[in-house]
Amino acid sequence: MTLLLAAAVLFGITLVFATLLGIAKEKLRVEEDPRIPAVTEALPAANCGGCGFAGCADFAKAVVEQRVACDGCPVGGFKTAARIAEILGIEVVQSYPYRPVIHCGAKTGDKKGVVEYDGVRSCVEANVVGVTQGCIYGCLGFGDCVASCNYGAMRMEDGLPVIDYAKCTGCGACVRACPRNIIESIPFKQERMLVIACSNKEPARLVKQVCTVGCVGCKMCQKLLADMFQIKDNLAYIDYEHYAGEEDREKVIAKCPADAMVYFGKPKPEYAEMLRQEEAAASQPV
Amino acid sequence: MSFGALIGIFLGVALVNNMVLAGFMGICPFLGVSRKVDMAVGMGCAVTFVMTVSGVVTWLLVHAVLTPIGAAFGNPEALYFLKYVIFIMVIASMVQLVEMYLRKFFPSLYTAFGVFLPLITTNCAILGACLLIDMKPEYQNLLNATVFAFGGGIGFMMAITIMAGIREHIRFSDVPRCLQGPGITLLMAGMLALAFMGFTGIGK
Repeated sequence: MTLLLAAAVLFGITLVFATLLGIAKEKLRVEEDPRIPAVTEALPAANCGGCGFAGCADFAKAVVEQRVACDGCPVGGFKTAARIAEILGIEVVQSYPYRPVIHCGAKTGDKKGVVEYDGVRSCVEANVVGVTQGCIYGCLGFGDCVASCNYGAMRMEDGLPVIDYAKCTGCGACVRACPRNIIESIPFKQERMLVIACSNKEPARLVKQVCTVGCVGCKMCQKLLADMFQIKDNLAYIDYEHYAGEEDREKVIAKCPADAMVYFGKPKPEYAEMLRQEEAAASQPV
Repeated sequence: MSFGALIGIFLGVALVNNMVLAGFMGICPFLGVSRKVDMAVGMGCAVTFVMTVSGVVTWLLVHAVLTPIGAAFGNPEALYFLKYVIFIMVIASMVQLVEMYLRKFFPSLYTAFGVFLPLITTNCAILGACLLIDMKPEYQNLLNATVFAFGGGIGFMMAITIMAGIREHIRFSDVPRCLQGPGITLLMAGMLALAFMGFTGIGK
């Protein structure tokens, strides 16, 4: 008897709530494009924010609404772009992966005017204090970018962050973490890319006072390769749309008086061999 | 029932017997959604809403449905074993309602909550509030029950907001490596609970 009563009461209450929820669902309906969950499914689901959106679902929404291109996911790369294109029924062409590079080449020994700093060990805080070293544009070296990396692809070495491109997914967390905006995502057209390793916009005299490897804005590179190099605010910039060939680049690097250009990415084969031998020698028992 | 007694109930559940810090209920969202203050406040509002409505509805169901039906068949307490099932169902329905509402009117908050919004269903603080209301004889009138449930929600919101405020600051602190992340968070939660013990005795 009690059991029947209980079942009846439970059924009645459930019915009331089900009806209420049903009405609410109709009243509060949100129209959603069925392609949005499909695109979300195709994404890597890392939710890293590398695309500039709050998460994969947000990016999917933007893609379906055609606010951004379908190759905007730096982690998924070309494969993901192709799958999204398939869902949306559009064509996709090969694009280059974007990877971060550091526009500062000043190792600990190259910096001038370094002072004792006892404050919080973070670039954000040190940047606010602003007097930890001579150069107000260069890397502070407290490793906010290293801490921001979710993939363990960065480490500090001799006062500068070093990126392990085998682990880097190009999510851009380090780009956002740097308070001095030294880190930039550039298209990696080749395995190693030439980068201006300086951000100092002061004239040559002042650059020389704070750094031994800073770009002095001498315009030498621009004279040699006007397409690829631009000088703005006493600082050279590389236009990666017009990335020059190997030989031309070598010529420019040889001419650069400040050593302000470095290669990022994989080392050249001959260097790789040399590094391997050095490592082998170091690991041998004494 | 005087106004002062209602204030007493409210302060009692919000400060002295805070659901989170004295009762150790609802720890999951307390630690999970307390990274940013605005999200914590949003979560607090959602929990307060669900707790208040569930408290009232469960009270009504117990006193206006279960008891009279049971009494009509001889034993007023005959159907009390259904309480848990019904409570959980009420809470789940309310969470669904909040979810639909947020999705329609606050999509950014909806995405920010993620999985924690459906998880309010299993927030033990809410079921705890409903059961406490049901358990104590002094809440056998609707006004007291409402104030108790609302106070419980406000207490939860206060705790999670304070926690989020501390966590926003701790990001800039030099935390020892072994304590980073969950370690320091649990330590802070413990200290916060100790601090809330200072309210003991209010209202006596």
